[in-house]
Amino acid sequence: MDAYKLMKELRVNYEQEVFYLPKETGLVLIESSTRDESRISAKCRDVQVEDLWSLTSFFGYSTQTFVLAVNLLDRFLALMRIQPKHLSCVSLSCLHMAAKVTEEECDVTSSDELIRIGQARFTASDLCRMEKIVSEKLDFKSKPITALTFLQLYHQIALSHSMDRKETLSLEKLEAQLKACLCRISFSKAKPSVLALSLLRLQIIAVQSEDMLEIASHIQRHLKIADGELRLWSERVAQCLSDYASPECSKPNHRKLQWIVSRRTAQNLHASRSVPELPTIPEGGWGESESEDSCEDVMSSGEESLSSSLGSDAEGPYFPLHYRQQRDRGHLLA
Amino acid sequence: MSAISASEKVDGFTRKSVRKAQKQRKSQGSSQYRTQSAPVELSPLPQLKDAPSTEQQELFTQKLQQCCMLFDFFDSVMDLKSKEIKRATLNELVDYVSTNRGVLVESTYPEITNMICTNIFRTLPPSENPDFDPEEDEPTLEASWPHIQLVYEFLLRFLENPDFQPSIAKRYIDQKFVLQLLELFDSEDPRERDFLKTILHRIYGKFLGLRAFIRKQINNIFLKFIYETDHFNGVAELLEILGSIINGFALPLKAEHKQFLMKVLIPLHTAKGLALFHAQLAYCVVQFLEKDPTLTEPVIRGLLKFWPKTCSQKEVMYLGEIEEILDVIEPTQFIKIQEPLFKQISRCVANPHFQVAERALYFWNNEYILSLIEENIDRVLPIMFGSLYRISKEHWNPTIVALVYNVLKTLMEMNCTLFDELTSSYKADRQREKKKEQERDELWKKLDELRLSDSALVQNNSHGLQNNNNNNNNNSNSSNNDDTEDKSADSAAALPTDDKEPDVLVNIFV
Repeated sequence: MDAYKLMKELRVNYEQEVFYLPKETGLVLIESSTRDESRISAKCRDVQVEDLWSLTSFFGYSTQTFVLAVNLLDRFLALMRIQPKHLSCVSLSCLHMAAKVTEEECDVTSSDELIRIGQARFTASDLCRMEKIVSEKLDFKSKPITALTFLQLYHQIALSHSMDRKETLSLEKLEAQLKACLCRISFSKAKPSVLALSLLRLQIIAVQSEDMLEIASHIQRHLKIADGELRLWSERVAQCLSDYASPECSKPNHRKLQWIVSRRTAQNLHASRSVPELPTIPEGGWGESESEDSCEDVMSSGEESLSSSLGSDAEGPYFPLHYRQQRDRGHLLA
Repeated sequence: MSAISASEKVDGFTRKSVRKAQKQRKSQGSSQYRTQSAPVELSPLPQLKDAPSTEQQELFTQKLQQCCMLFDFFDSVMDLKSKEIKRATLNELVDYVSTNRGVLVESTYPEITNMICTNIFRTLPPSENPDFDPEEDEPTLEASWPHIQLVYEFLLRFLENPDFQPSIAKRYIDQKFVLQLLELFDSEDPRERDFLKTILHRIYGKFLGLRAFIRKQINNIFLKFIYETDHFNGVAELLEILGSIINGFALPLKAEHKQFLMKVLIPLHTAKGLALFHAQLAYCVVQFLEKDPTLTEPVIRGLLKFWPKTCSQKEVMYLGEIEEILDVIEPTQFIKIQEPLFKQISRCVANPHFQVAERALYFWNNEYILSLIEENIDRVLPIMFGSLYRISKEHWNPTIVALVYNVLKTLMEMNCTLFDELTSSYKADRQREKKKEQERDELWKKLDELRLSDSALVQNNSHGLQNNNNNNNNNSNSSNNDDTEDKSADSAAALPTDDKEPDVLVNIFV
């Protein structure tokens, strides 16, 4: 596609994106709520989105599916107040819906499998009902415009302008970074075009390409994105990405995973590790006359050396009395 | 015999249980039998507790001598009265030695040991059931157990008596005694082996001069078991004793003990009947590692060397042992073996046998192992990733797939960046492979097409010249109508029957 057409498409998307933004007031409400039983909090939502990311990865779904699912989820949560116990049902139904419109039919995992792997407590019919509710509430007909849409467009524009830089600006990397950002609810408040541009700029800065930076500015001017807004989100994105890329590992313990094994393996695991019934026999210290010299030969020569180990021990008349007493201390069992 | 149907007769693999049902098996064995033909009666002696203290010694000795008489238990009705007298006497002797002090004077030692030797040292009967399966079969029990049990009990109380003097006893409980005792460990009766285990344990504890000998003999038994006979019933009991010995090793460990670990205990894992003594063996190995952590690397490499390739049951056992070792491993040692170990584990998780895969995946449920992996995630994850990702799509067992999800999720949360990199490079690899496969397929197709068009060419070539002449003749014939009759007859005969495309030929050769 030539540059002109791309820019035009960009414009169109930019005008449309506002229709697919989750309601800001709803998002703010979630962010501000404390963790209690009746409302979902930002942490709950973030955890759910991370689970969605794991599932996306596991089933081999594309980034598009994930981004779409998160978009549906955020829009729904911003509209409707739901109880925390229903959150997993909502998120899985968003994922399933997203998969159905994005992936090939043969690649879409069945609801049963989705529920089983996601270790969810509800049934397939629950999932189906929830999907209907979500699609009704969101009036879900066509593919929404998300940050990914913009990211892909920006990438194409950048490529079309500088042919020699094909390798350095990686769309895959940008997509991964986008996924990382979407795991935090605060980024759902950003306009997708701005979020995507922030990501693009950060990567351009990282590869230190002057002409790409020019292109990014060009896009910014074309869409009339305010400097302040771009700067704000760029800072936040930079912070998020530095956390994501840090070599420190996070402890995976905020949710207990179920480890279901077959009956046989479970029996095996619980089979008592043999608790030793026989008391420990301490080995002798100094002076234990086990004919140590013959011991060393025992393994290496393999020859019978019985004669040297016959009848020598500290109890005999050959050892002075006080040595005998010293050794008696630890060695004889009651 | 009617239990086997005709189809089973033809089938070479009749079920073991069916075969056993036919065999008339004696469930009891014994080598004790009376050689004399004349029945011998025991005359009951007065009770020890009733005897005056001056006579007790003598009475004690007499009773001991009386108990040297052996009886045949195969015949359950013979000598009932005498058997009962012996049994009661033995019982009395057990009590006498347990409850009284000052009964073990020097003169009694030889009598006691003589009675014991006479009763228990015997050649064990040959095995009735060489394919003994501990889970299914009943063990062959010692027929004369009513007496032998009391003799063992007596020996134990004798050893544990507070007045027991190893310095006196060592003249009688010598290497020969120990050797014969060890041979009895091959008994099929588990109760007997249990007694022997406790007895040998006490002897090892009390007779320091015999320790080296005992260790050496146990070595011999194990080595013979591993490399020669593959049969010995007492491996588990001996290992249990060794466990308590290893537990008491002084530090630093002697070279002899380390040799024992590497040359005997590790190869012991290769025995076919590992299931019978694996728990005790694993305990011994772990004890060694707790004593000296620097042995970790050779031990793990040894286990990896002997890793079972065709027996899944054993593989599950090995995995259990690895987990036990990892539970006590030091982080510095872990780093040394992580790569070869996780290569093996990644093969195990992909194993089509579901128990093996499950057991391997379950490692990720162990907190300590997780913390070790976390610290070394950059080395471990690349090794595990490929298999895990592949089996998440390909494994037949749904439980395994769910476990793989758990493992992948755990690993992902440890280091997302690395995970993402591996995912994309894995996908890229898969793409390349697919492309190669496609190219290969296309190449074969091309070759196929070439072959078809070439074959027609080749066949025509072989009759080329002949056809050429004939065609020329034909051509010339058609123009000379007068000569057609004769020549066409000739040419007709000369034309090859499989000539399909003479036109092609004419184009080439003419």
